This record gives sequence, structure tokens and C-alpha cells, in this order.
Amino acid sequence: MVTPLDIIKKKRAQAVARIISKGYLSTKRVYVGMATCEIAAGSKDVMDIFRQAVANGLTEVYLSQKGCAGRCNLEPTVEVVEEGKIPYKYGKVTPQKARDIIERHLKKGEVIREWLI
Amino acid sequence: MGFQNTETKNSGNIHFGMRIERKATVPEVHYKITLCDGTSCIRKQSKQIHQILDQELRKRNLKEVVSVHLSGCLGMCAKGPILIINPGYVMYGNITEADIPEIVESHLVHDTPVARLMVEENHLYNRFFRIFGDVDFFGKQMRITLRNCGIIDPENIDDYLSVRGYEALAKVLTDMKPEQVVSEVKKSGLRGRGGAGFPTGMKWEFTAKQPAGEKYVICNADEGDPGAFMDRSAIEGDPHTVLEGMIIGGYAVGSSRGVVYIRAEYPLAIKRLEKAIAAAREHGFLGQNILGSNFSFDIEIRLGAGAFVCGEETALIHSIEGSRGMPRPRPPFPAVSGLFGRPTLINNVETWANIPVIILDGGEWFSGIGTQGSKGTKVFALAGKVRNTGLVEVPMGTTLREIVFDIGGGIPNGRKFKAVQTGGPSGGCLPEPYLDTPIDYESLAKAGSIMGSGGMIVIDEDSCMVNIARFFIEFTQSESCGKCAPCREGTRRMLEILTRITEGKGCPEDIDKLERLGAMIKKSSLCGLGQSAPNPILSTIKNFREEYEEHVNQKKCRAGVCAAMLSYTINDNCVGCGACKRACPVNAIDGTRKEKHHIDPNKCIKCGQCYSVCKFSAVAKA
Repeated sequence: MVTPLDIIKKKRAQAVARIISKGYLSTKRVYVGMATCEIAAGSKDVMDIFRQAVANGLTEVYLSQKGCAGRCNLEPTVEVVEEGKIPYKYGKVTPQKARDIIERHLKKGEVIREWLI
Repeated sequence: MGFQNTETKNSGNIHFGMRIERKATVPEVHYKITLCDGTSCIRKQSKQIHQILDQELRKRNLKEVVSVHLSGCLGMCAKGPILIINPGYVMYGNITEADIPEIVESHLVHDTPVARLMVEENHLYNRFFRIFGDVDFFGKQMRITLRNCGIIDPENIDDYLSVRGYEALAKVLTDMKPEQVVSEVKKSGLRGRGGAGFPTGMKWEFTAKQPAGEKYVICNADEGDPGAFMDRSAIEGDPHTVLEGMIIGGYAVGSSRGVVYIRAEYPLAIKRLEKAIAAAREHGFLGQNILGSNFSFDIEIRLGAGAFVCGEETALIHSIEGSRGMPRPRPPFPAVSGLFGRPTLINNVETWANIPVIILDGGEWFSGIGTQGSKGTKVFALAGKVRNTGLVEVPMGTTLREIVFDIGGGIPNGRKFKAVQTGGPSGGCLPEPYLDTPIDYESLAKAGSIMGSGGMIVIDEDSCMVNIARFFIEFTQSESCGKCAPCREGTRRMLEILTRITEGKGCPEDIDKLERLGAMIKKSSLCGLGQSAPNPILSTIKNFREEYEEHVNQKKCRAGVCAAMLSYTINDNCVGCGACKRACPVNAIDGTRKEKHHIDPNKCIKCGQCYSVCKFSAVAKA
């Protein structure tokens, strides 16, 4: 008999496969905080910039939103994760900073240390 | 509670190979290394490892940015010697002297943890939030309720599934009887996170024991405390956890219908919840025959119009039924007669979010966290005059000082700490001597405040305690539903007296009157709103009586907040630039250019414009 646990395990495997098929294993993953508080601080504009960049051919990047991590005074936050490396988290990201992050960090691999949290 | 043996479990989901983050403030310590110094590890050469580590750091000039601490036994003796590097809580096990140069080179110099040496265990939850954040903010936290917040995409059920989402539900349906679920929750020692702290397991048991038939499960997401946003963030960051908790609750008490009561002011939370419910239905986690079992359950959303009193369970139930949101006397408790007169299980968002963890990791594990009477963790919305405002989740028993100064980073702008307010309009203000109070239901109540739903506001010396008390009573007064006289009339009288005091018209008897009135309202009000409404006043009188006395006797507000008691004067710093003169809306300032100006106290309306525009600190308020 198939138990609910079997079903959930299958579902999980499928979910993971779907996430991977969306490019999760790209070299860089970018997370933009998108809770009410972050949106109020301007994260929607930041997200739009990243979305545009991806639409305009920025490859090797997996873009996703996430909820509030609790750093209210530093929002909006953008996190860049590279496999095997320590993730970088930018605080108080403006649209201009987002463009710079795309140009300098995502395209050229340069970490903009002065903006890190 | 620190990071001890249970916390070595790494997250097993695909999200996080290693997501760690650093603090960018350059001159400060970049890394904190903790080396286990227990007997077992010492036997395995941990002392020598410490020496080598020290040499390596010196050799690479890292002594300034890396601090090394020794700890007592971490309880992982089999894996010893253990070395932990923060931020990120990367744990290395079975290390030898020869591994140290590699760890230093790779992890500390190139930010790349040495995967080969990391301790990997049977990964459960992502509960120890080490993937984020700098040491100070996240180090003392422990995330159970918020374990996925800020990590997964809340609008994508795949993300939730990948972090073992809905596995607790499957486990319950596969091999647990409803009674076993109830007893697991009882064993966990979980208590209601809405504020009152009623043991959750008992509530479940009462509801489960009612005769079979239509029963309801309700999630109370009517978060109303000013400055509190725990429930909103939890739902926005991880809506499925709440749903999963509710479905398990439904199974345990024999209910097939659930309701989330959430305020309409949270549009994004509602949107994500709707999306989550739709996705859960699509995957068969809601609806008929969940996951092929013969258990059926569905959830609907009801919107509240934002009345504070609707957070009270009986008022909330009335509101769902379509009546006016007013409380009624208990008993009968909702467990016996709740929504539409049927047995109803009603819990707060945070309580529900703990349920999947309790099921997957066991009530026993959960009850190992926290203090004697209060188990698990509590989420606080840290706000006010503190450097790091935000959402924090700490184990019960953490002290207020740790939250305000270690996690919160202390008071900004060099100001002095004055008090911390917990529990919103139902809680109290605790001054400096209470800072070492451990956070649990009993200790906070003993100190004169309450746990509440999790609002925590830090107050510095620039705030007037009388004014703060007035703010809270103004809030409860306007939110009083008006059903019972003590609350309806009493809060109004208290507001009048406090307003009088802040306007400089108070008389010495007012303080005693407030105390008498407060005690009476507490005793005789119908519901929690009235019973707790006087708390902010009574606790500020108890802890800051001298400020009240100054207000009534000397007509003085030491914080310079109560406008009526202020007077603005211009001192000798004045260069006669005229900025204040131009800013004054009532032309109360005169003076010739480049000469000292003067404020006419009879004309002055104490708006403070001159004070804020002056660039030379020449306007003094007292």
C-alpha cells in the first residue's frame, strides 16, 4: 500500500526536480526579500531591475524572492549565493545599487564589500 | 541555551550547501571560532590544535579579525575534536593538527568552507538559522517558527516541499493516531503564543474529547498590537507551515474545517495564504482524502476589519459568525462551544507554526528547549530605540538584556536605556533592574509585564513614560468594544487623567486614583482586553513613579516630550541667522540679524520648529 509518507517523498523529489529545472544549479543564485516591510522599503523596484536583467539575457543566475529574514533596519536585502562559497548579503539596496550589483558582482564577480551587511 | 548537541544538524534540503554571511564592518572581528575544550576533545589533542590554530592565525596576520574561544563539552564527543566557525555555524569534526592550515587558508582567507571536514548529520529542520546573518544578530537566535522565513520562496510550494514540507502531515497520517498527536503536543510543553500561554496540548485534548460531529479549527492571525509584526512575517515568509499545523490540528481533534482569521490590513499575507491554500489543494494536502488517507480537511480565509478586540478568541468567533466582534464570558470555552456552538480549536499563528516541528522532531526534543515552565522559542518584533530592529526568535529563558543589547545591538546615538516594553497595550514597561529577567511566561508576569504576542519596544531616555502610558491607554480606550462598563468607562477615565497629567494640569491625588482605577478594571473587566488594559499604566507607575510625581508636582517632563511643560529659550550659541525666526509659524521669535534672537513665551505654541531647524544648538528646551 502507498502510504502518505511515500506520496510526500515522491512529491518532494518532484519539487526538487522542478526547482532544479528552473536553473537552481546556476553558478549564482540571487534572492530578493519581498515581504510587506521590504516592499515598503523599496524591494519591488529592486526585484524589477533583476527581473529585467534576466529577461535581457543575464544568464547563469537563479532569481527568487523570499520572505522577511528579520533585518528590518537594513531592508531591502539582496542575497547572492555561490555554491561552496560564503553567501553575500547586501543591505539597503536601491535600484542604482541593484544595477551595480548586476554589473559588478553578477557579471564580473566582484564583491562590493562596502554594501554588505 | 546555546548551540549544543542537537544543533549540529545541518539542513538537508537543496537550498543550502553553505549559505553563510559575514559582517562587513572591516575593523571588527570577521570570524569567531569556537573550539571544544571538553575532556574528551582534550584527550583527542584539542589543546595542540588550539596552539597550531594560534600559530596559523599569527602567521597570516589574522589575529585581529578572528577571535578564538574555548567552550565546554559540546556533546558531540564521537566527532571530536569539534571546531565551529561563525558566522554560518560551520562545524568541523574529527579534525587533526594537519587539517588546521587548510581550514584557515580555505575558510578564513577564501571564504570557502572545507566540505571534506564538515560534520554532516541526519538533517532535519533548518532550525538554526545559521545560513544567514552576522554573529551578533543571529548568534543567540534559534529559529523554529521562522525556520523558513527569509529562506524559501513563500509563493512556491516546491520550495516548501524541498525543506521537508508537509512531511509532518504525512507522518501523522501514516503512523499516528489522533490521540498520539495530542499526546505528542502535550509532551512538547508548547503553550499558546498569542500571549496568555495556555498549554496547547490541553486545549487540543479538551477539543478532541468532545463528542464527534462538526468541529472547527481556527488560526488566529488577528495581530493587533501596535508595533508587532510576527504573525504577518511568519505568514508572508512561510504560509504553508501554518496550514500544515492546522491540518494536523484538524486530524488530532477530529475536525474537517479550518478557518484562518486574518486582518484585511495584511493584503500580501492574505494573497500568499490564498496562493498557498490553492497550491495545497492542488497537491492534495487539503480537500477530500488527504494524501490517500480517509481524512478530509479544508481551510478558508475570513478577513477581519481590524478591531483589536477581535484577537480575543470569543470576539473573534463572533466576528466569523457574522456578528459584532464582542467577547462573551467564559466558560463555556471555545473547546466546548465555539464557532456556531461547536467545539473549536483556536490557536495563534506562531503556535500553529510550531506543530510540524514538534511532530517531526518529537515533543521530547521540543521540551528540551526553554525553561521549566515555558518550552520552545518565542518570536519578538524588536522595535523602538534599538540599533538592529527586526524579527528575532530566541529560546525561552533568554534574558531581556541579551535581546536588547546582544541581538538588538543596544541603544543608538549614545543614548541611555530606560525601559523595555513587552506585550503591547496589554503589557508593561520593565526598567534596567529587570533586564536580566529570563523570558518566560512566569518571570515576565512576576516582573509586572506579560509575554504577550511578541511586541518588544525599547525605550530610551528621550521618551516620557507618562506619555507612553497615555499612548497605550489611548489605543485600548479606542479599541474597547464597549460591552462591559469597567473597560468602557474605566479606560476613558484613565485616559482623561493621564491627558491631564501630560498637559501639566495633574494633581497629586491623580497617581493614587490611577492605581485604584487600574486595579478595579483589571479585576472586573469581561475579557483580556480590559483585564490587561491598565498594565502599561500600573507598571510605569510602579517603576517610574518619580516621573509621574515630577509631572504633577513640579510640572516637569524630564524627557522633554510633554509639550505643555516645555519652554523653549535661545541661548548664547545664537549667531542670529534667522532660521528659527523664519520657521516659527506664530511669529514668536524676534531679533535683528547677526544678533541673539529671543522667543516670546506668551506667543510660543511649543511646536518645536525652531529647535529642529537650528544648526547651532542655540535653541534649548526644558
